[in-house]
Amino acid sequence: MEAAAIHAAHGHDHHGPPEANRSSRVEPQMLGMLLFIISEIMVFGAFFTAYFFIRIVDQDNSWFPLDGVELPKLIAGINTAILLSSSLTLHWAQTCAKNGNRAGLKVGMLTTFLLGLTFLFIQVNEYIHVGFAPHDHAQGSIFYGLTGLHGAHVFIGLTLLLIVTIRAYRGHFTPEEHGGVEIPGIYWHFVDVMWIVVYTSIYIL
Amino acid sequence: MAVDPRARTSNRTIGQMVVVGVIASAIGVAWGLYIDWFPIQGSSQAKKIDELWDVLLIIAVPVFVMVVVVILFAVRDYRQRPGEELLDGPNVHGSTRLEIIWTTIPAVVIFVLVGYAATILSDIEEAPANAAQELKIDVTGEQFAWTFKYKGADGKDVNTTRLYLPKGRSVKFNVRSKDVIHDFWIPEMRMKVDAVPGIVTSYRITPIREGNYPVVCAELCGLGHSVMRQTAYVQSADKFDAWLAKQSAPAPAAAPAEGGGAAPAAAIDAKKLFTDGNGESIACGSCHQLADAGTPAGGVGPNLDMVLAGQSADMIKESIVEPEKVATKGFPPGVMPPNYGETLKPEELDALVEYLVTSTKK
Amino acid sequence: MLSAVRQPGWTRAMAFSAIGVAFTYALSVGARAGFDYKPFLDGEAVLQIGLISVPFFFMVGLGLFDYWGYWMSGKPTRPEDHSGHGAKNWKSYFYPNTDHKVIGVQYVVHSFFYLFVGGLFAMLIRAELAQPGRQFLDANTYNGVFSVHASLLIFLFIIPVFAGLANYVLPLMIGAPDMAFPRLNALSFWLLPIAGVMMLSSFFAPGGSFASGWTAYAPLSNSAPIGQVFFTIGVQFAGASSIATALNFLVTIITMRAPGMSFFRMPLLVWANFATSLLVVIATPFIAASQFFILLDRALGFNFFDNGQGGDVLMYQHVFWFYSHPAVYIMILPGFGIISEVLAVKARKPIFGYRMMAFSLLAIVVLGFTVWAHHMFVSGMQNWIRVPMMITTAIIAVPTGIKVFSWLATLWRGVLKLDTPMLFALGFITMFTLGGISGVMLAMIPLTIHVSDTYFIVAHIHYVLFGGSLFTVYAGVYYWFPKMTGRMYDEKLGKIHFWLTFVFFNVTFAPMHLIGVDGMPRRVADYADKYAEWNLAISIASFALGLSTLIFAYNMIASWRGGPRAVGNPWRALTLEWQVTSPPPVFNFDAIPTVVGGPYEYGVPGAVHGVFADEEKAAPVAAGAGAGATATAGSGGAPSLEKPSAPDHD
Ligand code: HEA
Ligand code: HEA
Ligand code: HEC
Ligand code: CUA
Ligand SMILES: [Cu+2]
Repeated sequence: MEAAAIHAAHGHDHHGPPEANRSSRVEPQMLGMLLFIISEIMVFGAFFTAYFFIRIVDQDNSWFPLDGVELPKLIAGINTAILLSSSLTLHWAQTCAKNGNRAGLKVGMLTTFLLGLTFLFIQVNEYIHVGFAPHDHAQGSIFYGLTGLHGAHVFIGLTLLLIVTIRAYRGHFTPEEHGGVEIPGIYWHFVDVMWIVVYTSIYIL
Repeated sequence: MAVDPRARTSNRTIGQMVVVGVIASAIGVAWGLYIDWFPIQGSSQAKKIDELWDVLLIIAVPVFVMVVVVILFAVRDYRQRPGEELLDGPNVHGSTRLEIIWTTIPAVVIFVLVGYAATILSDIEEAPANAAQELKIDVTGEQFAWTFKYKGADGKDVNTTRLYLPKGRSVKFNVRSKDVIHDFWIPEMRMKVDAVPGIVTSYRITPIREGNYPVVCAELCGLGHSVMRQTAYVQSADKFDAWLAKQSAPAPAAAPAEGGGAAPAAAIDAKKLFTDGNGESIACGSCHQLADAGTPAGGVGPNLDMVLAGQSADMIKESIVEPEKVATKGFPPGVMPPNYGETLKPEELDALVEYLVTSTKK
Repeated sequence: MLSAVRQPGWTRAMAFSAIGVAFTYALSVGARAGFDYKPFLDGEAVLQIGLISVPFFFMVGLGLFDYWGYWMSGKPTRPEDHSGHGAKNWKSYFYPNTDHKVIGVQYVVHSFFYLFVGGLFAMLIRAELAQPGRQFLDANTYNGVFSVHASLLIFLFIIPVFAGLANYVLPLMIGAPDMAFPRLNALSFWLLPIAGVMMLSSFFAPGGSFASGWTAYAPLSNSAPIGQVFFTIGVQFAGASSIATALNFLVTIITMRAPGMSFFRMPLLVWANFATSLLVVIATPFIAASQFFILLDRALGFNFFDNGQGGDVLMYQHVFWFYSHPAVYIMILPGFGIISEVLAVKARKPIFGYRMMAFSLLAIVVLGFTVWAHHMFVSGMQNWIRVPMMITTAIIAVPTGIKVFSWLATLWRGVLKLDTPMLFALGFITMFTLGGISGVMLAMIPLTIHVSDTYFIVAHIHYVLFGGSLFTVYAGVYYWFPKMTGRMYDEKLGKIHFWLTFVFFNVTFAPMHLIGVDGMPRRVADYADKYAEWNLAISIASFALGLSTLIFAYNMIASWRGGPRAVGNPWRALTLEWQVTSPPPVFNFDAIPTVVGGPYEYGVPGAVHGVFADEEKAAPVAAGAGAGATATAGSGGAPSLEKPSAPDHD
């Protein structure tokens, strides 16, 4: 019925669109992901602006340890290591995908996903034990704000990884066609790098 | 094709354009300078700012006139005439020389303007030579009134809702806010700054004319924003000093002892409470007219002489403590502060009610 | 019935929305009970969660995520059958569609709806301000009305209408069959009605609509009644829509240009949208974040703006203006592009200084990020920031000046066809120059200290947004009307519309400069008696301005329904969108054209911008496949041609 209607409305043959010219060597999906990451970086930028104002511009604000509460640098440091290692396993999975090593791809993706999940779990655990709440003071707000924003991104990243993992188990991806592993991968690496910035500015500095 | 009739563009058209442009700009500038744009010049800062405005007009008008004149002449000379439906213009792509000209000239104009504006800025913010002479006033905004704090002659604080200013003396306002952002502005003085919770902002003016000028809140601050208006009274320096001295004279009940209950109820000066508040409560007089207290008309709230005549004490008390409950017709609900129950001590409240009952009874 | 619920569409959208409401209640009550907050059922909590979650249920129901859903779960996706591509009849415009032309029309029509709603609010503002004192809007409603007026006109009219026009013509102009991500494109559109309905429905919230201006400064917006949240969350949807479209434009422009279409052969509209999209992708996250802060403060008791707890009130303004200043260029750069298109065609001359036109756009993008604090000259921020910001702000006059002067030079010695699009273009140049000049005046700090937050600002706003952006929108809509609808508009009505608008626009907004400098603050329902005469005059003129808009509406509707048929290229323009039929075929081109020259080579006899491969030569592939398509499902091969397998649902 639809096809008929198109005929009627436009008197035009129903065929697909002409193949678009490719005016750039960059994959559209890849470029889209990069632009998306730029705007994600700006979201973090805005939260870091808040951090900058609350920690540096307002000179009568002090930073942690605050009211005797110390931030768990060590645990968060271990967590950092966990997240970073997930980037490595992801890279390994991607290499496997390129080389057609399906078992490696599956195991790599699964490990990456589980490492990410562990990170998130430890983070939530930290919230429970950290000893202050976002409504206690602005420093608490920015702590929860930045780590929470990052946590949300880990969550999005994990969702993407889960999709890739499922598709990997269903037999998708070939050495020729593995953009579906590459592109979510870039996002995951971004999430990792962002964590290093967050960790450094919140816990270390 | 015959000779393109449009090739007649020539130095003559451009010449005409320049003449028309110059005349129109001259008229425009003259008119712009003639218009009385600003309110009265109430401060030395106002003079400088008005001067900047004149300079801006002198530059702005010719720029605008030029654009309009070029368009009008282009329309006159080059509009498509019957028979020219298929004609195209010349295939001209640009001219580096022109492009350089119209990049550099505006750039130069801009830099000159910016430099000039920056010097004016430092002029209007400059501290007076004799810094000790400067009068400092703490201004506090809250929804929806201003309170002012002076240092009295004896070093005691003087709190008031009426802004008195001495003519010819530099005044520095330190502006604070208790709730949301407000903006402290006296249009006749030209200067303004936001009152921001958590920080102290400031500016200074030197009033140069006696008179009464409106104090306006210029930042959206909620329901009562459009009625957050008070008055600044600029007086001669002598009169001002006399006023300040009177304020700080130790009137027995002006500053109730911190001890609270120690001061006997009879000592509460309800009239002063009405006109000036108790330091914590906003003065009723900043919004309400009351003949006995001498507070002016035109405030935000109803004229109490009229609405309270013959009202019972209980009813008045309720209107003060719970203004939301009995909204007066024609006046914005939610503007009168709902917290008088806390900011006024019970005995102050009673005194105030008592005062209102007697002063409005005719 | 059941099948209607399973089919993507409005029935399912409504059913899913209902599920969303139930989910919201469950989540809210569950969470509150879990954390032992009393009372378990809290209206505000439900509302805040609902405003965020129900739209997602709605969109899933409408079918915007169906394809991705299959893809994500690793199920075989349905081969592309193009059943959701192209409009079959007027009803198609009410469903998600992946055709950029349909989406463009959806965008434009939807945006104009909000011009009328927003304009109607302006009429309310002017009615209240016709006389000093309080007439028929109380303070709360008044504050709400101008806040909604500005928010709708900015977030649901100017920004999306530009995205809509570009959506329609940009792929055609660069010789692409569609946008790079057609499904994302559909999603971008459908986020807008959500934002619009949300902002409008805030009037039904207890305590009234959001009433802290379109700037929603903290801490006022933090303590405002719940209606504020409709803005806080509504803006997120509008912002997400902007970002998604901008990303789509950038990818389309970079990867899908026709062969031969180098960057410096792109029409300036494409350049303008390229520049705008950069601004959007980089700046918009900041307004999203500023509203996240507000939401976190309100809903979860964070202290970003609570100075008593170490929060920073001015931080809001920095973050907000870091978006919202670039946003004013987001609201004018696409207009610059439209004007360049219209002027070149209507003056029959190449754009003067094409390259500088492109570079000045980029210069404005870069400078636009360095000037945000000119909105904060009286905010009490650190004094030293002011002078640098004054300098950068004023410098923007230079690239903008380059554009204005180049347009003037384009007119010079052309053959000016003074029809409606051209009149609006010329009107734009004059009015925008005036608004821009008042902008430069505002950059001068000592003056801004006096006129900030007065009607002088209101005058500036409307000269640049109405005399600037809206005039370009009018020019663009008239100019592309034949392409989009296949019909000609009524020229005479168009001209009447222009002259009435031009005259009453000036009578409405020019006096605002006067009363502003004279000390009338903005955002007030009541004002001193000395401004009464001017305000009355302004109000009367504004009603006439409003009525003149009805002529436009009539012209558009009547011409769309019964105007004379338009030929493919009524303006004798060179850019590619005019080389196809009006309206263009479903897939834009039978074969992608090849670009062989600049877009504006007027004055060279026989010049073309793009050449189309000989139909006969290009056809066999497509035609052959088309014939087979009726029977077999397409398997492999580039354009897959399966017949729609979805059951009819009539
Ligand atoms: C489309 C939207 C748009 C555009 C394009 C602009 C363009 C400009 N704006 Fe405007 N502006 C707004 C929308 C816009 N603005 C809005 C909505 C507000 C209010 C927000 C709110 O508070 O609600 C605002 C407020 C605003 C302020 C803050 C005022 C205050 O609140 O105190 C300032 C201050 O610097 C300013 C400056 C400028 C400048 C310098 C430009 C420049 O880009 C203009 C450049 C153009 C020209 C100058 C004209 C052409 C040039 C020539 C012909 C060359 C020769 C010229 C000279 C040598 C002068 N604007
Ligand atoms: C694109 C943006 C845009 C547009 C097009 C307009 C259009 C108009 N605006 Fe608006 N305005 C803003 C953006 C815009 N405005 C912004 C950003 C603010 C700042 C808000 C803030 O402070 O937060 C503002 C604020 C603002 C104020 C200041 C409010 C205040 O500070 O208290 C006023 C007051 O006059 C005003 C008036 C108008 C008028 C009369 C129109 C007219 O042009 C409208 C024309 C009318 C229509 C297009 C409607 C169509 C006609 C009909 C439906 C039928 C006609 C009906 C009758 C005659 C009854 N606007
Ligand atoms: C910020 C402005 C403001 C201040 C300060 C203020 N009021 Fe009011 N008041 C109003 C407004 C507006 C109304 C009318 C709306 C209402 O009833 O809430 C009102 C109403 C009243 C009424 C009720 C009038 C009637 O119609 O019965 C009384 C009594 C009153 N005020 C007394 C006072 C007293 C006493 C004080 C000081 C202790 C005071 N007000 C301070 C704004 C103010
Ligand atoms: Cu206080 Cu506006
Ligand atoms: Cu700006």
